[in-house]
Amino acid sequence: MHEIYLVQNVLRTVEELFPDTPPEKIKCIHVRAGELSNVQPILMQNAFQAVVQDDARYQRTKLKVEVTPILIQCSACGKTTQVRNYTFVCECGRPSKNIIQGDELQLHDVEFY
Amino acid sequence: MEPVKPKSNRAPVGNIPCDNTTLNLLKANDFVAKAIRDRLPDVLVVNVCSSPGSGKTTLMQETGKRLRGKLNMAVLVGDPETERDAIRMRDVGINALQIVTGGMCHIEAQMILQALDHINLEGVDLLFIENVGNLVCPAAFDLGEDLRVTVLASTEGDDKPKKYPRMFHTSELLLVSKSDLLPYVPFSVDAVTQDARDVNPDIQVMTISSLKGDGLDAWCNWLVEQVNLKKKNQKVV
Repeated sequence: MHEIYLVQNVLRTVEELFPDTPPEKIKCIHVRAGELSNVQPILMQNAFQAVVQDDARYQRTKLKVEVTPILIQCSACGKTTQVRNYTFVCECGRPSKNIIQGDELQLHDVEFY
Repeated sequence: MEPVKPKSNRAPVGNIPCDNTTLNLLKANDFVAKAIRDRLPDVLVVNVCSSPGSGKTTLMQETGKRLRGKLNMAVLVGDPETERDAIRMRDVGINALQIVTGGMCHIEAQMILQALDHINLEGVDLLFIENVGNLVCPAAFDLGEDLRVTVLASTEGDDKPKKYPRMFHTSELLLVSKSDLLPYVPFSVDAVTQDARDVNPDIQVMTISSLKGDGLDAWCNWLVEQVNLKKKNQKVV
């Protein structure tokens, strides 16, 4: 995946959300990546280190990536099931593509000093 | 670099939840994808994805030959470098434009929107986007397509849907290519269909050989059908 690009985008999104806050004040950025989003936390961490290495403003900033499991909600029985082994089948046995969590790539939380 | 100065004395402290803000990269892409859909209400747009070397360009060449006189087809073809694929398609008379991504691993909607200004789409019914060969990154980028087709060559192995779930999950059709090699390689169409349906219960599966011609009529008929549905303003597939 294009992790460097994603990390640059995380920082830009934060800067747009908090335009009046200097990056030095940012303690930790929490990103939520669904299991289906193709994002590997360790690669994001490495990319983050590579990006901030050349940017003095982010020296005290950390990145945390939380991987969220895929959840589907069955349109027939209404039950929510966690997708395991990428098999999109409800507990009741019916196949379902109705994802309610797990394909997202989102900024979840920002901590400040 | 100029140090950034605080513009407000109400700097945030502690934790600020972001309402799960989608990264602006993906938000911007979805915004542009919608603009592409709005701009092409009568053209069926098909995003063709696969790994490198699965036979996308050969499939485009053969599809172009077969659809001549039936549909007016154009292709936007993405590659990290070179114009080679567009030249191959123009050689067989296909209206093709190369998108050179400059090393990037996927096409983004913005590249398509810009390319639309440089390709003649007058009278075109079917616009293919031949994506960069990669089963991972292109899966996350909506290009304003109506349909996503994943091509998987028999030589690649039948275990790919579970390895690259997002790609198969977001595709309407799986095309198993190089079917003429099936007798020589350990690839089970049944097994790949089973795994693809685990990942995506709605996915259709077709088997083709662009070199020998097997399955190409079914594929072309399917395309004609989808173009007609789109023209009637109906939901495709």
